[in-house]
Amino acid sequence: MSPMSSSLPPRGSQANDDERLPLAFALNGEAVDTRVHPLDTLLEVLREKLRLTGTKGACHEGECGSCTVLVDGVPMNSCLILAPQVHGAEIVTVEGLADGETLSAVQKAFIDCGAVQCGYCTPGLLIAAKSFLETCPNPTPEEVRQGMEGNICRCTGYMKVIDAVVEAAKAMPNPKGGRHDRA
Amino acid sequence: MTGPDFSPVGASVRRNDARGKVTGETRYGGDLAGEDALHVAVLRSELPHAEIRGIDTAKAKALPGVVAVLTAADVPGTNRHGLIRRDQELIASRFVRYTGDAVAVVVAETAKIARRALGLIDVDYFPLPGVFTLDEALAPDAPQIHPIGNLLTRKPILRGDAETAMREAFVTVEETYLTQAVDHAFLDLEAGMAYMDGDVLTLHASGQWVHEERRLLSLALGLPQERMRIIQPATGGAFGGREDLGIQIYLALAALKTGRTVRQDYDRAESMTARHKRHPLRIRYQLGADREGNLVAAKVTVHADTGAYASTGDAVMRKSASHATGPYRVPNVQVDVFGVFTNLSPCGAMRGFGAAQMAVGYELALDKLAEALGMDRLEIRRRNLIRNGESVTTTQVIPVATGLQCLEEAQRRIGWERRDYETGSPTLKRGYGISTFCFGLGYGDGFPDASRARVRFAEDGVLEVYTGAVEVGQGLTTVMAQIAAQECGVDPESVRVIWADTHRTPESGSSSATRQTYFTGSAVQIAASELRLQLMDIGAAMLPVHWDDLTLAGGELRDRHEASLSLPIARVLEEGRRRGFSLEASGIFKPPTLPSDPEGLSPRSFITYLFGSHACSLLVDVETGEVKVERIVAVHDVGKALNPRLVTGQIEGGVTQGLGMALMEEVIRREGKILNPGFTDYILPTMVDVPPIEAVFLENADVGGPYGARGIGEPPLIGTPPAILSAIADAIGTQVTETPATPERVWRAIQEKPHRERARDLGMPASVHSGE
Repeated sequence: MSPMSSSLPPRGSQANDDERLPLAFALNGEAVDTRVHPLDTLLEVLREKLRLTGTKGACHEGECGSCTVLVDGVPMNSCLILAPQVHGAEIVTVEGLADGETLSAVQKAFIDCGAVQCGYCTPGLLIAAKSFLETCPNPTPEEVRQGMEGNICRCTGYMKVIDAVVEAAKAMPNPKGGRHDRA
Repeated sequence: MTGPDFSPVGASVRRNDARGKVTGETRYGGDLAGEDALHVAVLRSELPHAEIRGIDTAKAKALPGVVAVLTAADVPGTNRHGLIRRDQELIASRFVRYTGDAVAVVVAETAKIARRALGLIDVDYFPLPGVFTLDEALAPDAPQIHPIGNLLTRKPILRGDAETAMREAFVTVEETYLTQAVDHAFLDLEAGMAYMDGDVLTLHASGQWVHEERRLLSLALGLPQERMRIIQPATGGAFGGREDLGIQIYLALAALKTGRTVRQDYDRAESMTARHKRHPLRIRYQLGADREGNLVAAKVTVHADTGAYASTGDAVMRKSASHATGPYRVPNVQVDVFGVFTNLSPCGAMRGFGAAQMAVGYELALDKLAEALGMDRLEIRRRNLIRNGESVTTTQVIPVATGLQCLEEAQRRIGWERRDYETGSPTLKRGYGISTFCFGLGYGDGFPDASRARVRFAEDGVLEVYTGAVEVGQGLTTVMAQIAAQECGVDPESVRVIWADTHRTPESGSSSATRQTYFTGSAVQIAASELRLQLMDIGAAMLPVHWDDLTLAGGELRDRHEASLSLPIARVLEEGRRRGFSLEASGIFKPPTLPSDPEGLSPRSFITYLFGSHACSLLVDVETGEVKVERIVAVHDVGKALNPRLVTGQIEGGVTQGLGMALMEEVIRREGKILNPGFTDYILPTMVDVPPIEAVFLENADVGGPYGARGIGEPPLIGTPPAILSAIADAIGTQVTETPATPERVWRAIQEKPHRERARDLGMPASVHSGE
């Protein structure tokens, strides 16, 4: 984390000497260099400052997982992280999942399995699923339940979300080769 | 997804809004406004009941960055709203009646400044005594909340002679059931944006019926409807929670008063404090049967806490009354449903709308009756479910009453006849539950209920559907695309749906009451079938085929017998334009229902009824009272599944909300304050709470719905709490009579069981007694 600088000129119409901390990180593979208030959450910076609104806030207290992003590969609730904490980190949001127009396996599975209803929890679920499948490449439905219970969905009842994660795993190349032995 | 044999209706077509939702491109209410928007914040009453003696806004107005501080005196119109009665003020002028009442509105350059300004407003409250329970509200000397007193409404059902029939019954049971206040807890918090577009106030915020919201705002703000436009952004769930006006009020007022672009975002606490809830009900249920278990009488008295304002309370109370005996044949019925004001959150629409609470009452009372008769719970339902051509309690005859078929499917799938109670642990008890239920679709009771739709081939050749209906997650825009595609022979994924924009789309009623597939689906079908006729008229002059032999499918107009005689639809459109055809058509669907008579009876309360049955198995840890649901089977007769994957998605989601109501969700209030206005303490079902759900639909066609479809929104919630509570009673040998059945309540029921049994053996009240 960089030291605070008090000599920065105010920026913008609101004379924001509030935003006195420089913040640099990689966002979906691109360098971001900005300034923030020390108490701004990562969620606020992503949505309000960088206008990347795919990441959603719903409970703002770390209970629902809607705001999940990857911080150096680890899924975290961006509503609970102060933005200065990610200085120098690599952040992945839902906008970083597709490769251009080509959807990732998880995104495609969510559509094909009917795991999307209102869609508000979807970005967080997709990020959580991406991370979960890296640690558990061939999950059973029960493993999905245990591994992703931190994400609340109010619409689907989770059945099709679980299906989608299991289906996405089948469509993804398994880094360890072959299915796990479950005997 | 085309080809001559492909039928869009009945196929699990992928959602037409899913791609934007998985890439993050879809814009919800909170995603719209840019940096230059002003921020709106609302000061809400700290007291549950008080008179406002004065408001000093000077300090707030003086804060740099504050653009306006608005109070009731600044509201230009009637300052009143309410879906049924206009009894709620946009901003309180003199009285506050619950802790969510708006007292002042701040508009400021940033959200932080707006919040700071709220703290600088001085309100001089004169506290009034509050009423927080049904009994306090109904006491003779109770403080009166409204000029009409504390009784909002009374909805009766009087059929036959329940008094005499109950007296002469072979067996009667009696119990009081309590249901709780439930929060919709949609994830997409109230948020939006408003601005003046010339002299048109333009509002982007999520509701459930944009045209009605415009009507209400027009009256409240004294602005003609033509000068107001509401456009619904993508919406992250509603479940009845967006029916009452809320954030629209402050956004509209702020834009009107400042002339600037404004935005507003509730946080979770404000959302849960300000918004209405599901009515908590106290249901006193008495049920009588003859020696064979045929129901002879029901006497039901319900008191519902409708909170500080009417909201949709009158309609919810009526729905509780008309659904008081569910899908059963009860010749003698006496129902009294009272809606009672308190100084708590207003209660109104939530998925199930009064019918969900009543299902807890009639199903558990029926279980009790079965026990008193020594009869299986399945058997008593088989015996008393209405059959085709019999009537529900309002006297409305149901031509296709498929409760029994649903019940048999549910019991077969759960394995009712081979229930296995072995758990391998002395402290774990297994229980099986079963429920049957029905639900009247649409507003009903003579309330005007109509959907309109317009379909057209746009200049780029794309088939467009225009509807005022809102997509809140249920998949409406996909189903409407399927229907239009079915009629006009195009790929449903190519259809463009333009929805919920009061300036561009015709009024289609609310996305509520399980009505949109039936109502707007019908309107789209009517419009699209007329457009189909236009295409055939045009094409009949282009192909050497008799009109009767033409068909539209797979993007072609062709001879139904001779595939080689065909034209691409694009060619037909080109020719149609040349010849001056409009290539568009409108449809309206407006089937009548009839208001009830003074005794609550009506031959046509609802346009149609849905039937369903749920079964489940669960484990109760008798040492802790914890419940683990193992399996839920949910069977619903949907008439026709227009999109099977969307139907099962609705069933699974509704079951899960029902599980939340049954086991964990409860808005806890003390002295008018909500103690758990956030997801840390308001507990929602997660992936580990929800067991495998078998969503099953039956398809006994409805005579009036599109392609035989009925609907599916609400019933999956309704059947779940009674099935779970029935299974808990099966496991522990006594009923938990209050929802949610938290570990504490289950544990208490287990502890109190010996006392209840002794009371019963001594013939004490509120228990089983035999007649004769």
